[in-house]
Amino acid sequence: MTVQSPVHTAPAAAGGGSRPKKSKSWLATVPLLAFVVLVFGVPLVIILGGTFTREGTLSAANVTDSLQGAYLTALLGSVKLSALVAVVGALLGTFLAQAVVTSRFRLLREAVLTASGVLSNFGGIPLAFAWIATLGNSGVVTSALGLDSAGWSLYNFWGLTLVYLYFSIPLMVVVVVPALDGLRPQWREAAQNNGANTWQYWRHVGIPVLTPTLLGGVVLLFGGAFAAYATAAAMVGGTVPLVTLQIANALSGNVLIGHENVALALSLDMIVVAGLVMAVYLPLQRRSARWLR
Amino acid sequence: MNGAKVELRGLRRNFSGTTALDGLDLTIEPGELIALLGPSGCGKTTALRCVAGFEQPDEGAVLIDGADITRVPANRRDAGMVFQSYSLFPNLSIRDNVAFGLRVRKVAAAKRHARAQELLELIGLPQIGERYPHQLSGGQQQRVALARALALEPRVLLLDEPLSALDAKVRVTLREEIRRLQLSLGITTIFVTHDQEEALSMADRVAVLRAGRLEQVADPATLYDRPTTAFVAEFVGTMNRIPGKLSGRTVTVLGQDLPVEGDVPATSDVEVLVRPETVIVTPDPSSEAMILVSSFRGSTSRLRVQLGDLEMLADVPGHDTVRLAPGTRVRVELVERPVLVSASSDVAAAVPVSEHDVV
Amino acid sequence: MAALTPAGPMAPVTPPAIAAGPGGRAGRPRRIRVWRGVVLLVAAVYFLVPLIASFTFTVKDASKGFTLDAYGQILSAEGFGKSLLLSLGLGVATIVVVLLLTLPAMLAVRLSVPKLKPVLEILCTLPLVVPPITFVAGITTILQWGPDHLADTPFFQTIIAAQNPDFPVVLVLAYVILALPFVYRALDAGLGALDARTLVEAARNLGASWPHLLFRVIVPNLRSALASASFLTLALVLGEFTIASLLHYQTFPVWIYTISGSQAQVSVAVSVFSLLITWLLLLVLSSAGARQRSGS
Repeated sequence: MTVQSPVHTAPAAAGGGSRPKKSKSWLATVPLLAFVVLVFGVPLVIILGGTFTREGTLSAANVTDSLQGAYLTALLGSVKLSALVAVVGALLGTFLAQAVVTSRFRLLREAVLTASGVLSNFGGIPLAFAWIATLGNSGVVTSALGLDSAGWSLYNFWGLTLVYLYFSIPLMVVVVVPALDGLRPQWREAAQNNGANTWQYWRHVGIPVLTPTLLGGVVLLFGGAFAAYATAAAMVGGTVPLVTLQIANALSGNVLIGHENVALALSLDMIVVAGLVMAVYLPLQRRSARWLR
Repeated sequence: MNGAKVELRGLRRNFSGTTALDGLDLTIEPGELIALLGPSGCGKTTALRCVAGFEQPDEGAVLIDGADITRVPANRRDAGMVFQSYSLFPNLSIRDNVAFGLRVRKVAAAKRHARAQELLELIGLPQIGERYPHQLSGGQQQRVALARALALEPRVLLLDEPLSALDAKVRVTLREEIRRLQLSLGITTIFVTHDQEEALSMADRVAVLRAGRLEQVADPATLYDRPTTAFVAEFVGTMNRIPGKLSGRTVTVLGQDLPVEGDVPATSDVEVLVRPETVIVTPDPSSEAMILVSSFRGSTSRLRVQLGDLEMLADVPGHDTVRLAPGTRVRVELVERPVLVSASSDVAAAVPVSEHDVV
Repeated sequence: MAALTPAGPMAPVTPPAIAAGPGGRAGRPRRIRVWRGVVLLVAAVYFLVPLIASFTFTVKDASKGFTLDAYGQILSAEGFGKSLLLSLGLGVATIVVVLLLTLPAMLAVRLSVPKLKPVLEILCTLPLVVPPITFVAGITTILQWGPDHLADTPFFQTIIAAQNPDFPVVLVLAYVILALPFVYRALDAGLGALDARTLVEAARNLGASWPHLLFRVIVPNLRSALASASFLTLALVLGEFTIASLLHYQTFPVWIYTISGSQAQVSVAVSVFSLLITWLLLLVLSSAGARQRSGS
């Protein structure tokens, strides 16, 4: 039996399993569930098991190692970078979305929304190279403006922030535009009618109504920046401490003998952070869906 | 709480080419409930929004108790407004919705909660303060919106088709309730509606608007019985148009000579406007006219009568229905009273709103 | 790694909910208009400059001034065709597997076992929480650990076969997991709009058999959702770097990275080129979505 076998049984289950007797149609879900458990679940179990094993014995040493020294710096660096990108990206994305939503030009709106859909999917190696060609040491803009003599470098924390925002801001636009559209003009007018000025409307109604969406956007942006590896690897290599780079480093064998499982511990740290952040997101999304219906 | 006098003076408003208000003049007396009635696009909502401050008229002025408030921003006007639907703030509880205006004015929490509770009792929903808008029915939401509009004790209440999104039964109870509240508070109220029945049953006076101008303003009975223009006559209630010959101030219609009321057109070929209840129908086997359809409505029956190539509507007492069955030959006469006439070409000046309940 | 997002390319076709009423916001203060202009201008500069600069970078030449040589060199560069074909093959395989897994399961859940829906939803959303790099850490460990412990069992052969560098099945497995959240969302939206239950009952009522029903009734009606799921998966596979590079497979993005050391201009040219392809894919996808919307 191989991990592939569920694939082959899938059509059979759909065709035969759910024939007249409806009670058997759940069989059609078995291949998918089995696949996920096997291909996704087993590596997770391995991560969990490996994290708490050192040289064949049960130990918390990997976790301890992963939470000190260079590893801790990398983990904190990733959290710091992702948090900055998430907050700044969410703010700028919301401003951009508001500028577009309140615009009377339909074409502008359509253009920005389409571009945002595309750019929010722009990541990885090509993104890194595009920015290297622009603001790298011999980049077009760098040499045109003479930035290199002014001490400019793209290959640091701030450079990464700038590059990550390139896909984060459009993602925020995509997330927040439906919510901005959902703010009913009656709410603003009702607030005015009750004596509220613009600021009071935003403070008591507009921002609270948008908050779940905004926080949800922050979470998504955080997750995207936190998990990003390719862009950072292509741009900064090891000069900026990031947990994804440390994991890749450890996986490539750059660890002390016997400490190979530190990579797994770091992975577990990442999953815990990402999981906690995602756990905030889901209930928020549900609430905003109810308000903006 | 007592009402203010509201004056609209020569209001004019253009929206990129279309004229919403074309020199509207209207004075609303203190404590009065006035309904702005008209087909969609007649400018009634724009007029209301000018009073609320959400629209700036291009020309003209809005006065409250003699003070010109045309340039006063919406959030500093003394008018509470109820919107068509979904205007409650979804993130605030019902109590906080009602107390919103007080919160903005920095009234202490205990005091504004007490006031909100008072208002919720006033609208008959004292239990729902802790709930959220999405947990309420449409009718309840509009009651709360009313409470919110009254929270700051405004001297003018503005209602922008507040019942149009509700189902028929709720609509009727709620309009009675609004009227009761309005009378007990004595607040000047402007009520925008396109539903003539709503306007006639609630308002002290009804202002009929057409293309941004005031067509007629009068109490409901006068408006119905003595419409000054053909437009009003046809927009309010149901109207028959019967060809007639005009001579001087008398018109000959269906063989009867009737005095003419209101404007007289230049031509002698006119159409006479006749309400269904002023058409008298009696069985007469020798007559040409015949009943096509009869729909029983309890106290009355509405008949559709064919007379040559003319069809007309007549309302007769319910107990006459048996002898006025479809197919019966009848004689048609009109009640002897002054009638309105209009030039024959002036068709489609208005669409009778109650067209749908004509069988 | 392409930062594929759940709301991604679907969003542009969402119809705008409320357009500002005629003149409803007429008397807008000039201050706001200025503010909006500044925001849009800054955004335009930020988003357009890297694109323009990348292109400029690939066509400038110290001696000739302007040249398209870099683009010409792409085709002749060693490994280009091979890596692109590998990525495309992986993409197609991933699409086939992920659709064969999800479609029957989601149909069954919608039609007769709605109780399983939350389970499916959670399982299909979980991969979003697990960064690809941690996933690859787990996989690497298995691949290293396996040969040591399973050398005498059939598992060993399987694991070796799955790592065949000409067509690494292990990547397909991993990509199926990565694609699950997006495919699930796309199909769920499609099935929701379809009212599958009524359709199936109507077809069964007319005597259609299950296979007939699946391929003649469901699939054609789901065409747009299936296309959307496929495009998203393809874009994901074509851009995925993390897993492929750490498992040492020469997929297209890994190849771009590899040649960047020796031929910087060509690598940027390929980036621009692959960007255009991705954009084209996504534009086709969003316009297909828009067409379906207007059709229904």
